[in-house]
Amino acid sequence: MKKIEAIIQPFKLEEVKEALKSIGIDGMTISEVRGHGRQKGHKEVYRGQEYTVDLLPKVKLEMVIDDSRYEEVVQKIATSARTGKIGDGKIFVFDVAEAVRIRNNDRGDSAL
Amino acid sequence: MAIRPSSLLAERAAEVDALVIAGRELPESGCAILAVGGYGRRQLFPYSDIDLLLLFESEKLALANKSVISDFLRRLWDAGLRVSQSVRTPAECVEVHHGNPELNVSLLDQRYLAGDRNLYDDLARRLPRFLQASREPLVRNLSQLARERHAKYADTFYHLEPDVKETPGGLRDYQLLCWLDQLRGGAPDPSPELLDAFEFLSHIRRFLHLAARRDSNVLTFEAQDGLAEESHDGDAAHWMRGYYRHARAVFRAATRRLEATEAKSSSLFAQFRDRRSRLSNPDFSVVRDRVHFREPHQLDHQPDLALGLFEFVARHGVRPSLDAEQQIAARLPRLAERGAAWTALARVFTLPHAPLAVRWMHETGALSAVFPELAHIECLVVRDFYHRYTVDEHTIIAIENLLKAPGPYRDLRAEIERPAVLLLGILFHDSGKGSGSSHVEVGVELARAAMARVDMPAADRETVEFLIERHMELSAAMQSRDVYDPKTARDLAAIVQTVERLKALTLLTYADVSAVNPTVMTPWRAEQLWQLYLIVYGELTRELQSERVAAAPHPFLEGLPTRYVRTHNAAEVQRHLALAAECETRGVAVDINRREAAWELTLIAPDRPGLFAAAAASLSSFGMNILRAEAFANRAGQVLDTFTFEDPHRNLDLNPSEIDRLREIAERAITGKSDVRELLRNRPKPSLPSRKARIQGRVSFDDAASQTATLVEIVAEDRPGLLYDLASAISESGANIEVVLIDTQAHKAIDVFYLTADRAKLPPERQSALAQSLERATQPA
Repeated sequence: MKKIEAIIQPFKLEEVKEALKSIGIDGMTISEVRGHGRQKGHKEVYRGQEYTVDLLPKVKLEMVIDDSRYEEVVQKIATSARTGKIGDGKIFVFDVAEAVRIRNNDRGDSAL
Repeated sequence: MAIRPSSLLAERAAEVDALVIAGRELPESGCAILAVGGYGRRQLFPYSDIDLLLLFESEKLALANKSVISDFLRRLWDAGLRVSQSVRTPAECVEVHHGNPELNVSLLDQRYLAGDRNLYDDLARRLPRFLQASREPLVRNLSQLARERHAKYADTFYHLEPDVKETPGGLRDYQLLCWLDQLRGGAPDPSPELLDAFEFLSHIRRFLHLAARRDSNVLTFEAQDGLAEESHDGDAAHWMRGYYRHARAVFRAATRRLEATEAKSSSLFAQFRDRRSRLSNPDFSVVRDRVHFREPHQLDHQPDLALGLFEFVARHGVRPSLDAEQQIAARLPRLAERGAAWTALARVFTLPHAPLAVRWMHETGALSAVFPELAHIECLVVRDFYHRYTVDEHTIIAIENLLKAPGPYRDLRAEIERPAVLLLGILFHDSGKGSGSSHVEVGVELARAAMARVDMPAADRETVEFLIERHMELSAAMQSRDVYDPKTARDLAAIVQTVERLKALTLLTYADVSAVNPTVMTPWRAEQLWQLYLIVYGELTRELQSERVAAAPHPFLEGLPTRYVRTHNAAEVQRHLALAAECETRGVAVDINRREAAWELTLIAPDRPGLFAAAAASLSSFGMNILRAEAFANRAGQVLDTFTFEDPHRNLDLNPSEIDRLREIAERAITGKSDVRELLRNRPKPSLPSRKARIQGRVSFDDAASQTATLVEIVAEDRPGLLYDLASAISESGANIEVVLIDTQAHKAIDVFYLTADRAKLPPERQSALAQSLERATQPA
């Protein structure tokens, strides 16, 4: 099992969700996050006051996928979240030791 | 309902009584079993807990019987009862448990089931004395619990899927009323209306329990369908209106009672309340923090008095009394027939407590009497995943959120010139819901009819139509557009057209989104919306200098910023063209007009250095306060300057001949025939209120905003003559003023100048010299 964590642009969320749904993935956790990578943020001037927007709003998707499918899922996220510009985000993949369904104690793949 | 639900509940309690009594194997002496809580009052729902109190003479005896007790409880569990028990001594039952007010409350409904009768009688004797003596803390704990519960549900009963027990107006509130009766030393004494509501809610809760086979109290969409079908009462949305009617009766009775008890228990509040009674005037009196009509029969002759009451509410934040509510409700047809004028409504909508007034207009039915277009969204359930409230409640919460908006949104709100127009836009933004077709189009139609009837000015109507039509634009952009893509800013700027509309639409979006449910407007989302506002604002200010009218039907209009066309209607343009013609013959044209609460001076003249400063100076020399100003130049080098100003001493009102004198002085100053400095020598000395929080002046230059000019933004504490000082500092530096936008909010002046020198941006060394002199000018006098 692999855990996929993807940080994407907020306006790409619907597209990514649709793309994942098209390959049958609809279980995921979504959170509103802030952060920056190399796209360092920028300065805004409003009403004569300058303020730095260093942490940009992003969306984080998390899901755990069985080993046979994670490549496909990563590809799907990457293509649907891509605009080609700085700030498109990143995808991280982790190994997962175990999964447990709390309701009935199912383990491993069957708990996904 | 053939059998009353309450008798079914009592039947269930009797069944359980029999099981408990049969199953008991406890010592006959020194121990008694009491039914408490809902079970105690014989209102037992199919899957509710069975609340038992095991009364033991002493703690020691209880400990000695530990295993006997657990055997007894296990037998009850095995018989399928969900028992929730507590073991207490009589002494514990007659002390105030601040940490566990539920225990005290549950004893209000106690009754004897089995066991040592003497022990029970002893408690039954002590209990009334205890309740009497500890009435105050018990009532306080009870009302605090209720307030916390209400707050958890956002203080409203208009939930799409309410919890029939806990939501405001639910069974818990009905019970609260009964308990407060009991604590007063009497028996529960609900009104027939409340009894009806209780039977109705009990029926729902039984249905929910039986359907889910557990203690489940949420009236889901599915259950609404089931109940509507069972009652043959039309569709679920129609059936739900019945639910809201009952919940409203319970909730209002409960909040009134809570307020009355809280007022009694707080002397500080009483003082405040008495102070508020000084707000009384010849039409209204304030008694116990509620407004009453002094002469309600006057309502028959003067239907406007009803609106007057809401104006009072909006001004002072005091709610109407029950009497006043009923008196208004009795005259709704008359109010509907008579209608209301926009001027009167706008007064209500502009005052600080406008949301409270709108809420009570809605509660009393006055809102739909004035705007029958809103009647069909009352208690309207539109099912989706995100909304938590009915459409009318969503709308009112949105209006309330507008006033609660924090941080930059609060500042933005202060910049809104016509808050009443924005409020009307929010009031109608979802009015088209439930119509079957596009709710936006229907909403615009409904608002159009309503605005024509109340005789709203045409420009304001356009704003409202725009707000309704585009109310989803910004939230859609937040979800699906790249905020940092320049095209997003350009597209949105093309839609909103002016900064004023952008501000109103941003606030409407904030209010609308945050009224969907209490958690949806996260700081994350608020920041996203603010970013969007900033980029569109930036785009619109950039356009101000660079986007000019190209081909126009009249040469005067050519080269004016496109903002001019967007912010002026045909009649105003005609008036300006007439002034331009006058300027052709006389070399200058000045027009002074009354504009609602303020005055407006419009001038057209060939541009020359220091012109803007001279015009500002002539107003200051008359003691006028400049609120807003705009200065535009056309291709032929003529300027069109508009000053909105206030006349604090009502000089122009009281002496109409002064208008001509002001015009003359302005014309002489503009054409350079009189010395401006001479004028200002005689100006009234500024008298500033002493304030601790002074506004720190800020001057910032931006070369990137425009391709041809340097933008200077100045934020400063407003004072008489400030604009003249700023403008003359600019003129003296040799810079030319291309475009000006001046705004004030309270004591804060926000000025934007687009400057050029020799038809180009200001070179850096000139910028720093100018910055210094502007900063000097922003220092408080």
